[in-house]
Amino acid sequence: MNYPVWFVPTFGGGLLIALVAIVHVFVSHFAVGGGLYLVMAERKAIKEKSQAIMDFVKKHTKFFMLLTMVFGGLTGVAIWFVISLIHPAATSLLIHTFVFGWAAEWVFFLVEIVALFVYFYAFGKMDDRTHQTIGWIYFGAAWMSLFLINGIIDFMLTPGTWISNSNFWSGFFNPTFWPSLFFRSFMSFMLAGCYGFLTATFLKDEAARHRMIRYSGVWALVSLILSVPAGWWYISVLPDKARSLVGGASPTIARATTVGAFSLAALAGLLITLILLNPKARIRSLIVIVMIAAMGYMGAFEWTREAARRPYVINEVMYSNGILKKEVERINQEGFLKNAKWVQHKEITEANRLEAGRELFLHQCFACHSVSGFNNDIVSRTKNMSYGAMRKYLATIHEKRYFMPPFVGNESELKALAAYLTAGLHKKPLADDGGAVGDRGTVLYEENCAACHSAESIKPKMKGWELAKIRAALDKLPALNPAMPDYNAPAPDKDAVAGYLFSLNNPGTDSSVKDQGATLYEENCAACHSLDQIKPKMAGWPKKKIRSALDKLSALNPAMPDYSGTAVEKDFLSDYLAKYTGGAQ
Amino acid sequence: MSPASLIPVADTLTAPNGWFQFFLMLTFPLHLFAMNAMLGAGLVAFISHLYPGRAYHELSHQLAKALPFLVAFTVNLGVAPLLFVNVIYGHLLYSSTVLMGLYWLAVIPILIVAYYLTYIYDFSFRKLGNLAMFVLLVVLALLLTVGFIFSNNMSMMIAPASWSRWFATPGGTLLNLADPTLMPRYLHIITGSLAVGGLFTALYSTTLLKSTPEVSEVGRKLGMQLFTWLTLLQLGVGTWFLLSLPKATMLRFMGGSPIATALLVIGVLLAVATLLTGFKQLVLPTVWLTLPLVYVMSFMRDVVRGNFLAPYFDPTTVPVQVQWSPLIFFLMTLALGIGLVAWMLVRLKNTKKAC
Repeated sequence: MNYPVWFVPTFGGGLLIALVAIVHVFVSHFAVGGGLYLVMAERKAIKEKSQAIMDFVKKHTKFFMLLTMVFGGLTGVAIWFVISLIHPAATSLLIHTFVFGWAAEWVFFLVEIVALFVYFYAFGKMDDRTHQTIGWIYFGAAWMSLFLINGIIDFMLTPGTWISNSNFWSGFFNPTFWPSLFFRSFMSFMLAGCYGFLTATFLKDEAARHRMIRYSGVWALVSLILSVPAGWWYISVLPDKARSLVGGASPTIARATTVGAFSLAALAGLLITLILLNPKARIRSLIVIVMIAAMGYMGAFEWTREAARRPYVINEVMYSNGILKKEVERINQEGFLKNAKWVQHKEITEANRLEAGRELFLHQCFACHSVSGFNNDIVSRTKNMSYGAMRKYLATIHEKRYFMPPFVGNESELKALAAYLTAGLHKKPLADDGGAVGDRGTVLYEENCAACHSAESIKPKMKGWELAKIRAALDKLPALNPAMPDYNAPAPDKDAVAGYLFSLNNPGTDSSVKDQGATLYEENCAACHSLDQIKPKMAGWPKKKIRSALDKLSALNPAMPDYSGTAVEKDFLSDYLAKYTGGAQ
Repeated sequence: MSPASLIPVADTLTAPNGWFQFFLMLTFPLHLFAMNAMLGAGLVAFISHLYPGRAYHELSHQLAKALPFLVAFTVNLGVAPLLFVNVIYGHLLYSSTVLMGLYWLAVIPILIVAYYLTYIYDFSFRKLGNLAMFVLLVVLALLLTVGFIFSNNMSMMIAPASWSRWFATPGGTLLNLADPTLMPRYLHIITGSLAVGGLFTALYSTTLLKSTPEVSEVGRKLGMQLFTWLTLLQLGVGTWFLLSLPKATMLRFMGGSPIATALLVIGVLLAVATLLTGFKQLVLPTVWLTLPLVYVMSFMRDVVRGNFLAPYFDPTTVPVQVQWSPLIFFLMTLALGIGLVAWMLVRLKNTKKAC
């Protein structure tokens, strides 16, 4: 709201950050681990007086220089460029908080560049001791970069006591700092080992080849094994909400963690087998698989970390759309548009409602949702929802689905956003009926389920299910799939949803309206009025009229007693009557 | 819509603003030196290809070896001032960055390609033959494009009046082309960069290439010629830039503000002095005059920025919550880093001697 939004409809910003970050994460960790690998391998060459291994190390160094310095350095700058484009408010907050951490990181980056240049160009020209020291400086500087950036990245996931004291060190040495540092260090050693593993197979000198394959393999395996408890430690210190996200409360996260676990297992198995087997075998293609698995393991971890922060960009401080948590209450009262900088419509009128809604979408939703694009496409995600259902959904969006930020703004702004998401995107009607369009089961389904499941997609899954089975399933949704949240609603609502779901595969039965409404009718009205009798009297009555008549039956005819049922029951009854007396919808 | 209403709220600073100004003014010229050397080395290497003779050919080759270093240091030394600009002017910079997001991001792939091409030029110099010249040409074109993108962002961030175009064009495709100061600003910095880059080549040739006198000699001559002629041209381009500035800003350099005027006078005097030493082909005296000249030019640039922003942003109004320990930590790290770099370079020098 403070900043303009870079609006490229088909390309949500998140995707761009992910692409750049993934590349950089691999290269930068590789650079850190590679520093240690280079000096250790050089030491081995010196100790064993092996020119073949020394040549191998030198070749490695050249590759490191080309990959890590050019690609690593520039993709690091690229992340900075991308986040300041996609999350300017968060970037500004991070930069202002940690400027001297970053400045120190820049110093180590400089030392790293100089050390690597000297290390490479002085190879074989310097005495071993000095050359080794330069190598150690390179590794030390690269690892310090990791140390510093690690503090800032983990701050975004677990800001810890910084929230209350704004202290640099509280934010830096936050609850996930140490486990993440260990995990990342082992990851980087593992990647470097894997790379050495692969390149060693190209060594011409047979004895040196076998020695380096074994050396790199052990290196990668030990790092991998050590990374497992570090990763476990990391997950165990995550805050409850983040841990439950990692544990499966969000489908994408669940998938990412599974992928991670799978690649981990595959990797470990393969590595062990390979090393136990004869290193003389032709194993290059297997090692390529090992590398891919290693990257998958690490990628899953990064994805999880990114996702576990949702709906925040800085946990408990700033939502993904740049809105500060502490400001939500004030903005809800004063209005979002009034407080936003880059909007044209400060007040909502009948005429500008859709345009204002579009601006609200841009500033509150676009950070994660593309428009007909690759990333969390908003168009396909809203196509099942009516205006009324959308309004109800937006009002409790954060409570229903924790990983979405709450809507921030006043009532009329919420309506404007709902209007844009339904009438604006899908040309749906804007009936101002408080949310009840269609029969009760359909409405409840739209409000609670349609965001993830379209009716078409859910229909085949419930083929052959009895009504009772569906109804029972609604009581414990997470048992069906751990990613599904519980459906906390009164029993009649669940009955209605169950009826609707049942009707998808059994079009003859007309959803719960019939069951619920018919029962109520029989219990309360049928004693005096048969359906056939009542039908002509109510011909052409809109449902609204029926519903309000039920509130005051004695006004229709003083002989009738007022109906004492609940509002929900009256809804059912009016739905039923509207349907079966031929009343207009 | 008034431009001021679009300006985001600036975040709280963790040290007094003066510290960030100090670090910015200290590190930005370092970036300029590296960037100038990179562009200049590229241009001189390219020109050398046009001359016949082994000495010129060898000069290109020697400059080819330096180019990847220079790109790496230009990028690295650019990080620090960009960080401090982010702190002082972040709210303005991010706004203009979003407006030109597509071009801003393009900087990265352009740099990656240019950077790898410098390595190809270096590692495959002999194999490339005449093609080497074209590789260089592409590198230069790419780097000058990056400079143009930066000029756009740095001038757009101080011109909030141009920002409301975002409402009609939110796709990150806006440049600052309508700004009359853009072209003279860009040409001013490029002319200066190539001139100083020529001087760098002369310095490089007379020190590191001493062992091959004829190469050293052509490098010195070409470099100094480039420096003097471009500096002469710069007097014109600089005047154009000065005249393109809004009148109020321009007048500050003409006596309106003692500091601005003093900077301009010192700058012109230094430039004239470098011309004198430059035409005499005195490399070291010219270098000693140019170092403060680049600092003076970047201070003037800061004065211009302050004047453009005066109606919209007063840095002294930004809230400050001082925390000294991170600043001390950075200063200690900086001292350690400088020490380590110096130690490594001394070791490298000793190695070369030993060889």
